[in-house]
Amino acid sequence: MKTVKTQKKHTARAAAVVAATALALIATGCSSKAGGGDSGGAGTGADGVRTDKGVTDETIRIGALTDMTGVYASLGKSVTQAQQLYIDQINSDGGICGRKLELTVRDHGYDAGKAIPAYTELQPKVVGFVQFLGSPFVSAVKERIDGQHKVLVLPQAWSADLLGSEYIRVIGATYDVETVNAIDFLLKEGKIAEGDTIGHVYFEGDYGENALKGAEHAAQKAGLTLVEQKIKPTDEDMSAQVAAFKKAGVKAIVISAGPRQAASLVGVSAAAGLNVPIIGNNSAFAPQLLKTQAGPVLQKDYYVAASTLPIGSEEPEPARLARKYAEAYPDDILDNGVAAGWSAASVFGAALKQACDDKDLTREGVVKALTSMEDHDGGFGIRHDFSDPGLPSTRESFILKPDGKTEGGLKVYREAEASKNAQAFSFEK
Amino acid sequence: MSEPAETSVSAAPAPAGPAASEAPSSTAGSTGGRHGRRARARVLPPRRATAYTAAAGGLLLLALPFYLDRFWLQAGLLAMAAAIGAIGLNLLTGATGQLSLGHSFFLAVGAYGYCVLAGGRDGELTGLGLPGWLAVTGAVALAGLAGGLFSPIAGRLRGAYLGIATLALVFIGQHVLLNAHDLTGGYNGRPVPPLSLFGLTFDDTETVVAAVPFQSMEKLWYAGLVLLAVCAFFAHGVLRDRPGRALNAIRDHRIAAGVMGVPVARQRAGVFVLSSMYAGLAGVLLALVFQQTVPEYFGIVLALEYLAMIVIGGLGSVSGAVTGAVFVTLLPQILTRYSEALPLVSAPGTGGVAPGEMSRYLYGAAIVAIVLFLPGGLVRLAARRGHTQKDEA
Amino acid sequence: MTTFVELLLSGLSIGSVYALIALGFVIIFKATEVVNFAHASLLLAGGYLTAVLRDDIGFWAALLVGVAGAAAVGALVEFLVIRRYRGHDHSVLAIVTIGVDIVLVTELTRQIGARVLPMGDPWGDEVLTLGAVSIPQTRVAAFVTATLIIGAFLLAFRFTSWGVAMRAVAEHPETAALMGIRLGRVSSSAWAVAGGLATVAALFLTVFPTPGLERGTSLVALKAFPAAILGGLDSTTGALAGGLIIGVTQSMAAGYQSDLTFLGRGIGDLAPYLVMLLVLLVRPAGLFGTRELSRV
Repeated sequence: MKTVKTQKKHTARAAAVVAATALALIATGCSSKAGGGDSGGAGTGADGVRTDKGVTDETIRIGALTDMTGVYASLGKSVTQAQQLYIDQINSDGGICGRKLELTVRDHGYDAGKAIPAYTELQPKVVGFVQFLGSPFVSAVKERIDGQHKVLVLPQAWSADLLGSEYIRVIGATYDVETVNAIDFLLKEGKIAEGDTIGHVYFEGDYGENALKGAEHAAQKAGLTLVEQKIKPTDEDMSAQVAAFKKAGVKAIVISAGPRQAASLVGVSAAAGLNVPIIGNNSAFAPQLLKTQAGPVLQKDYYVAASTLPIGSEEPEPARLARKYAEAYPDDILDNGVAAGWSAASVFGAALKQACDDKDLTREGVVKALTSMEDHDGGFGIRHDFSDPGLPSTRESFILKPDGKTEGGLKVYREAEASKNAQAFSFEK
Repeated sequence: MSEPAETSVSAAPAPAGPAASEAPSSTAGSTGGRHGRRARARVLPPRRATAYTAAAGGLLLLALPFYLDRFWLQAGLLAMAAAIGAIGLNLLTGATGQLSLGHSFFLAVGAYGYCVLAGGRDGELTGLGLPGWLAVTGAVALAGLAGGLFSPIAGRLRGAYLGIATLALVFIGQHVLLNAHDLTGGYNGRPVPPLSLFGLTFDDTETVVAAVPFQSMEKLWYAGLVLLAVCAFFAHGVLRDRPGRALNAIRDHRIAAGVMGVPVARQRAGVFVLSSMYAGLAGVLLALVFQQTVPEYFGIVLALEYLAMIVIGGLGSVSGAVTGAVFVTLLPQILTRYSEALPLVSAPGTGGVAPGEMSRYLYGAAIVAIVLFLPGGLVRLAARRGHTQKDEA
Repeated sequence: MTTFVELLLSGLSIGSVYALIALGFVIIFKATEVVNFAHASLLLAGGYLTAVLRDDIGFWAALLVGVAGAAAVGALVEFLVIRRYRGHDHSVLAIVTIGVDIVLVTELTRQIGARVLPMGDPWGDEVLTLGAVSIPQTRVAAFVTATLIIGAFLLAFRFTSWGVAMRAVAEHPETAALMGIRLGRVSSSAWAVAGGLATVAALFLTVFPTPGLERGTSLVALKAFPAAILGGLDSTTGALAGGLIIGVTQSMAAGYQSDLTFLGRGIGDLAPYLVMLLVLLVRPAGLFGTRELSRV
């Protein structure tokens, strides 16, 4: 009986604690959520600039949703560090609109269970997202971005599925036009001709499938036969694919997969005596590969299409970025994620500056500012036109070639251009 | 019913259920009767809190949507969905000893099943446009059906064999999710139609309740609580009565169970179907919270997380599943959100241990530590603390 | 025909590597009745050691250290975790190995970071050409090595006292203990051997045609799970057969993808699991596994 009594005493105490906590919560909670809806409402700063979320008189908060611990960790790290570098530089030059920029980063480890909550958490606090890695997650919150939040998001992905939103803006050519450019390059160089068969290795998912659309389009225009090989990101040995291509007698191969698959494909083809040119999308290369035994063959007849100058270019902007990045992060690899991250940040920065000139740093103001940028030049070789949300900001692609002697492992093989087929490519879904 | 300690809901620091579930739960306690007592003592953790604490906790849970912002509500809802799924897995793995690595597959069946049943025809996406309650029930039934189709294997295999056989389901699921475009929307998933029940739609249009704007998360919160309470109550009943003892018997001594007249294969297949249905319901709730299905989410990592939940919380009990689900779901969210303020954890990219890594270390280590040093899981810890306090008094 | 032979050879060679992983899996299961989900981390640990050391001490020495290192990790896991478990539910132990795996893989991937670590093996990207068929030397080496190792183990199981002890423990642990077999020693040696085998597998999984070891390498170990189950979890012969079947299935499914489009493209990864399910439907204990005598 004694135990029962003490138990009662104990539970009464516990109940009191819980009730007190509840009361405390009610008391403190009332003020924040009731009435106003979203906090951090609209207003006009002391300098006459209109602001709403993420902007105070002192700071402009920008969000980045990235992957530093999951499958895209190496890309996420490069992109984020380059963006931090950009923001530090803007701040040391005095900021934008007399306000300091502040980058808030959330690492989602490429997991929807963390990415979507991370968006939910940062969204009320920032003026926009300079990076959102992982297109499935961007798609997952697309409805909220377009409907309620109307917040500028620069995805770190190039699938045409993302086009068409005023708020989600792809920087650079989408995978489909990039692939069109790549195949047209092979034709122009005389590496393939009408009537030939070409192979296409592509990832399951929006990257590969979007590239496949481009490949189908280009093949049909040029009278080529396309042999498809769909793979999963966990496939790293391309022997079976090469055997299939060899049987089909392909004259060239396009690869829309990751760097490791590209290395394996190039190596196996060479080993199997399938000596054909191979060209990949911008994601199908990483400088780390040049130090592996695939290095020598990668430098023979392998090309990469991309809509930015490589980080190892001698043009002033890439060269300056490479130097500063190496200073700030001496242990990290210089890859094209650095250029991509910087480019996105500079687009965001330019939009903020424009919005400041318009005296409108609200979310709508920033989006409007970006849409008004019809000829943005970030110093990476391609001019971007953001006026039409239904189109990528460019249709041009550089053709790059792996080169072990260059920083970042890529040099320009052919300057940027948009082939005729790429210019005529329709993005209608 | 003489001892208050015997009658209440668990002491888990978790959304164990709103006040609504207390009354039926305690009546179940009395009808469970004498026969159930010995089995219960083994299966269920000792409980100490009275109905008062539970009621206060329930009130607190009911009040939360008025005060928490969307991030915390979403995190809480994810924990509730995980709790429902974990209860199902605990019936299978914890109570019956059948290992399943395929739980995420059944979550996917529930999530996508709901989308297909409730969604309208949209472009190339197929949808039946059924009313909300029918779509939810249908999705759960579909998950059960998928579990039933697997019963030729689920009924005959045990332990590791079943574990790896169910792993196949995850791979098959991923393949179908990414390739059956008109059903699943492919890689980018498909939008989840908001739940509509009796004229109330759980979407983002604002309804003002007591000066607080209610959007999807606030409304779903209550739906989640009700679902979790019902699920917990039902599983509780299964575990404390005849079926629960049969399942435990299969786990502890399969042959003896068979000799004593337990239809082993049928019970195994049956509990597999039941656990699939729980997963299906968890999938529906998850989809409603995410508002868009993400195919990659339903992969092997998720299946492993569910196993981690039941081991960390406590095998074989409802409160254990709920506790573990809350722990595993909220840990990474909290670490990520407060990464700047936490010692040992460094902001991503600065070279130290990132929050994502930290949460993986912690929950990996928690699994090992709990099995070795705290068999029975976190709920046992709570119970043990209760005991020591009792002794001191 | 050439394509078929090439795919077959490619499948057999990768299958022999899966067989190595599956063998380790089976050995652990026989000795401790634990399904070791931490196998992926043993593989990654051994591969990582080999890859980082090869610049300093050369490839062969690095491989030896890698094998020894992974063996030590395996034995340590057995000593610190598996042996401490007081319960008797082997499903719970399987979940514990998942916990071990999460911790080890997180740490190793953190160490590897964004790097791709080449193995520095002597075979490079040389190719052996027989008539119209060409096959990378690494694959020949993989096949030969795996066959030798597995053959050696089959003999060891039959003829050495360690093998006899192992079989006795698998048959009936209590009786074996009563006969003077030290269970702890058998169990730690099993984990160590599995670690060593996983390192050899890691080597052949990361040499040409794959560029090197990186953070995703551990995922490949998942492909060996169906191999072990398919053959029968308690059968060494089964591990060999299972590995080869899985390797060939995967290679054929990928190579003849264009002819299998009715299943959806990219079926290569899935095929092993489908084959496993089919086998389990007919034989619940796998092809060579011990069938249970009790039917309930």
